[in-house]
Amino acid sequence: MSPDRLSATFAALADPTRRAILARLALGEASVGELAEPFDMSLPAVSKHLKVLERAGLIARGREAQWRPARLEAGPLKDAADWIVRYRRFWEQSLDRLGDYLRSLKAKEKEKKRGRRK
Amino acid sequence: MDAGSSSGTRLTERTVVITRIFDAPRALVFKAWTDPAHLSQWWGPRGFTNPVCEVDPRVGGTLRIVMRAPDGAEHPMIGVFREIDPPARLVFDNIATDRDGKVLLEGLTTVLFAEHGRGRTKLTVESRATARVDYAWRMLEGMEAGWTQSIDRLGEHVAHVGDAD
Repeated sequence: MSPDRLSATFAALADPTRRAILARLALGEASVGELAEPFDMSLPAVSKHLKVLERAGLIARGREAQWRPARLEAGPLKDAADWIVRYRRFWEQSLDRLGDYLRSLKAKEKEKKRGRRK
Repeated sequence: MDAGSSSGTRLTERTVVITRIFDAPRALVFKAWTDPAHLSQWWGPRGFTNPVCEVDPRVGGTLRIVMRAPDGAEHPMIGVFREIDPPARLVFDNIATDRDGKVLLEGLTTVLFAEHGRGRTKLTVESRATARVDYAWRMLEGMEAGWTQSIDRLGEHVAHVGDAD
C-alpha cells in the first residue's frame, strides 16, 4: 500500500458517517439506498462517501450497474467490526477464565489437604 | 456477510461453537455455571468483573449479570433458563442490553458437560445469536478505544505490506 493510499485510509476513517457506514457493512453488504435510510442523507451524498471508502480500500462494490452493493473489504477493520468475532471472543475469554478459575480451585483444595496433614 | 441485508431486515443470525476440556469433575464445572459465587469469578472477557451476578437455576428462572469493563463501562446481560439437567446440560436465552435496557444482542446458548475420563470434563458451548444492526453503529460511537486499536492494527498491517514491497 502506498503512502497516498494510507493517508486516504486514515482520512476515510476520520469521518463519523463513514465509520457508521463501515459498521453497517460489517453486518452484510448493502445497497446505497439501504445505507442512506438511517442517515437521512441523499443517495448522491452516500455515493460520495462510498467512493471515498472504496478509494481507501476499505470497501468493495458490486459490478452490476443498477444495484451495486457495497461490502467491507477483508482486513483488520472487518475483523474488528464484525460483531460475531467479538461475540466469539467473549465466550473464548470467558472459558479461558473458567479454566483458570477451576485450576485455582484445585490448587486451593491441594493446599487444604496439605494443611490438614501437618 | 450474507444474512438479511438485501431483504431489508435489520437482524442477522450467527452461531458460535466452542469446545474445551477442563481438568475438573463434571459436577464442579456444572456448579461453576449455576452458582453465582463461582460464576461471578470467571464470566466475561479478561479484565472484566461482575458486580451483579444473580442466578436462579431452574426452568424459567433468570440469570442477571452486570459486567464491568476495565474502563468502568457496565454491560448488563439477562438470561432465562429453558432447560436445566444437572450435571449434563444447560440451555438459556441470553440477552445483552445497553444501560437503558435496549436489546443489542439476543442469544440462545446450550452448554453440554460430558465426562472426559480421569475426572476431566468436556464442555461444549453452542450459542446462536442475533444482533441488531444498530449494535454495530453503537460499537463505533461507544467503543472508540476499540476503533483506535483497529486503526493502529491497520497501520501495522499496512506497514508490513510496505516492508514486503
